[in-house]
Amino acid sequence: MFRQLSARFGSPVAMAIVTLLGMWLIMMVTLPQLQMIEYSLRPNLLPAQIGGPDDRLTVANYVTLFNNDIHRAIFLKTIWSSVLVTLLTLAVSYPLAWYLAKVATPRQAALCILLLIVPFWINEILRTYSWFILLAFRGPLNEVLLALGLIERPIRFLSGDAGVMVGMVYAYILFMVFPLYNAIESLDGNQVRAARDLGAGTLRTHRRIVIPHAKPGIATGCIMVFMLAAGSYAVPALLGSPGSRWFTQIIYNWFFEGGNWNQGAAYAFLLLVLCIGFMSLVMKLFKVGLGDIAK
Amino acid sequence: MTSQRLLAFGLKFYIVVFFAYLFLPLIIMSLATFNDSRFPTVTPWGGTTLRWFGELWHDGGMWHALSNSLMVAAGVLVLAVPIGISSALFLNTVSSRAKPFIYALILSPLLTPGVIIGISTLIFWRQFGVSGGIFLTVLGQTTFIAAYVMLMVMARLQRFDRTMERAALDLGASQWQMFRRILLPYLKPAILSAAVIAFLQSFENYNTTLFVAGYDTTLTVYIASQVRTGLTPAVNALGLILILITVVLAVVYELKRRREVAAMARLKGG
Amino acid sequence: MDGSVSLDQVVMRFGDFTAIERSSLEIHSGEFFSFLGPSGCGKTTLLNMVSGFLTPSEGQILIGGEPMAGVPVNRRPTAMIFQNLALFPLMSVYENIEFGLEVRGVNKRARREVSERLLSLVALEGSGDKQVAELSGGQKQRIAIARALAVEPRVLLLDEPLSALDLKLRQHMRAELKAIQRKTGITFIYITHDQGEALTMSDRVAVMSSGRIQQVADPMTLYRTPQTGFVAAFVGENNRLEVTVAERDGERLTLDAGRLGRLQGSAVPGASDGLKAGDSAALFIRPEQLRLLGQGSSGPALEAEVEAVHFEGAWLMLETRLVASAERLRLQLSGEQARGAAGRLTQGERVRLGYDPAEAVVLPNDGSPVVDEETGEVKEAANVPAA
Repeated sequence: MFRQLSARFGSPVAMAIVTLLGMWLIMMVTLPQLQMIEYSLRPNLLPAQIGGPDDRLTVANYVTLFNNDIHRAIFLKTIWSSVLVTLLTLAVSYPLAWYLAKVATPRQAALCILLLIVPFWINEILRTYSWFILLAFRGPLNEVLLALGLIERPIRFLSGDAGVMVGMVYAYILFMVFPLYNAIESLDGNQVRAARDLGAGTLRTHRRIVIPHAKPGIATGCIMVFMLAAGSYAVPALLGSPGSRWFTQIIYNWFFEGGNWNQGAAYAFLLLVLCIGFMSLVMKLFKVGLGDIAK
Repeated sequence: MTSQRLLAFGLKFYIVVFFAYLFLPLIIMSLATFNDSRFPTVTPWGGTTLRWFGELWHDGGMWHALSNSLMVAAGVLVLAVPIGISSALFLNTVSSRAKPFIYALILSPLLTPGVIIGISTLIFWRQFGVSGGIFLTVLGQTTFIAAYVMLMVMARLQRFDRTMERAALDLGASQWQMFRRILLPYLKPAILSAAVIAFLQSFENYNTTLFVAGYDTTLTVYIASQVRTGLTPAVNALGLILILITVVLAVVYELKRRREVAAMARLKGG
Repeated sequence: MDGSVSLDQVVMRFGDFTAIERSSLEIHSGEFFSFLGPSGCGKTTLLNMVSGFLTPSEGQILIGGEPMAGVPVNRRPTAMIFQNLALFPLMSVYENIEFGLEVRGVNKRARREVSERLLSLVALEGSGDKQVAELSGGQKQRIAIARALAVEPRVLLLDEPLSALDLKLRQHMRAELKAIQRKTGITFIYITHDQGEALTMSDRVAVMSSGRIQQVADPMTLYRTPQTGFVAAFVGENNRLEVTVAERDGERLTLDAGRLGRLQGSAVPGASDGLKAGDSAALFIRPEQLRLLGQGSSGPALEAEVEAVHFEGAWLMLETRLVASAERLRLQLSGEQARGAAGRLTQGERVRLGYDPAEAVVLPNDGSPVVDEETGEVKEAANVPAA
């Protein structure tokens, strides 16, 4: 590998490439993850006990999750809610992606894409915070609903999971729209027209032609959104209440309130396994590879 | 035919609602900045004021967090851009049986939740006696931002005509001269774009930073903690300023990128 | 300045595939030399070995008498004009031309002097500040030449540089390339699959097929006395008839052409030396060597039926099929013959064809390439993957 690099760029540049890449992949990508796993397999000990008889590998930190009803419930809820967020985002994004790729004129599409991109340059925290204001107990949404006579007293939007999920859909929608848009855009418009000519209705055209073609985009979007949702700390912290905690918040507490890093590492690893599991499942279901996702 | 038209109208209506959904929260948040109320809201409207900008100006914590954010972003740029370029050059040059594995490794930080990158960085450096702070924040953020840089540089590198390289060598250039005079200038637009994106990603990052920042709070972490604790419309003032800066930046960047795409198309067409 | 190039027992293999069979060749200093052959014949591989992009598996290459083994691309006294020209799109015309000098550390004033001189050589004075994208196809071509000449190469390598141009420009650039070569006195090694280019510009041509150099000669010799069946078929057009040698009288051969009866032809000195009675051979008659015989004329003649008549302006192309063997023959008629035949001949008409046996060559039947009757393409004997 080095030979190929130095033949093309000369030894100094090849050396720099290998050094930088190696440093990154070893010191930042690989070793910290392995260390985290190793950490999760050790008990939380006082400094004096390290290296002592209690310092041995154990799965106790993983067992904790199964024995703690609250944590287990939050773990399962995080999975379920993240799936829901993913599906919601897909449902919201699909018509938009379809419009951008096949219905809009190039000018309209360019404008829409610019309008889409701009809010997503804005800080995730600020975007989430804007929903905090909108959904507040005495906030504008409640005021509008009251004024319209749709409700009689304000609703506490921010006390359950609904607020968190709305915030997540809002925060991660771009990660769904763009892969979908790219996939649908590459579909030959004649296929759609042909299906129409053959008498296929809108729903059938989408189900039989567009969606199968957009599979890699759907898979990519779903993987990204699920990963972001399950791993989100900002949105549940800002829009959730103590009653609607997210798994990431439990992990955070192990580190910075419980002071049990080993336990936190075990939970973090479970979260990682969950994301990898979801990704593998989607890749298998949609029959796509890693190369399709990186596009 | 009418049902077709109804569907088309429905889609248009949906697009309008969608963009309202996208912008309304941001507009309301911005408006709340000017409301003379102790809490950030637009209802009820207590009168128009600019005092929250003044309060923000005198908020020492904000300034400190801002300087931390800028230092982190600078560090990330210094690390992530060269790493990202190196990875792209590596993947573009090397053919080996290990390549798919290395490729997966390079992409993996993009598919790993940010909190986990933060946690693993924190744990890894503990054994060397390094605890949370600016240094770890730079490392944690670089872990995944470098992968973004790689993707952006790679996209341009794949369109590079390698006869240019052969021509440069044939004319007597050394490999280094070829790299500096031909390849780097070609990659420059992608590298600049990647640097802008890397800066922004670093500046806005929350999930990873939260775990590795220690006491060196960045601006994004500061905003989040303000929202959760001492909430006043000063946060909105800060948000509004950041939004204005990012919107200007985003529009400039996007327009510039489009001009480049158009120029490329002209080059190819003519 | 010795710009001679020698290939000494050179072999190039890629894995199991031999791209260049053992070849030796001398290219003289100051010569316009072409490698002519269909795609995949190995000519580009040869060029890449001379320029240093490839290292021969065996044998060596010498430039100006110096062995080039271990001399990298950027140290060789050669410069290449690439098929797609490979001008640097982000640089101005000046910067492109001066690139080779810049990387050698020549100062700016001296560089500019050279580029101005070269711009006037290629008749593009005053375009130095233009961007590459602003140039026309022909202008790009000339800038590529100027850029290569700037490094004062002893040998200029040209890899089908005209293939991207339209026909008119291509013909104009042929003359220009030849003129530049004469003015500069640099050895030009030119690679092409277009025999027109090779024959009009070159002092000598090497015809290649399947990684083998088939014949090296000046264009006239190649055309008149091809040494192999491939050369006979590939250079210019040719009609080929399968025959058996019946009698040999010096260079004059009497041939048994099966149902066509007895035919006459001439042996090629060298290639056909070993031909003797009973050997299988191929008789080549060029379309312009065939002529129509009057109905009353006597002597040997081939009976044929007209299949198609194409009026080409200066001449008439006649496609015929031999009555006895159903083989196809093409005739190119000009002058009186064309005028007489035009309008008179129609499809299905019987004609009698004659030729001068002194001009028709007989070569040993090497079973090698045949020209595809449908497409006019030359087919290689062996299946050679594209290089």
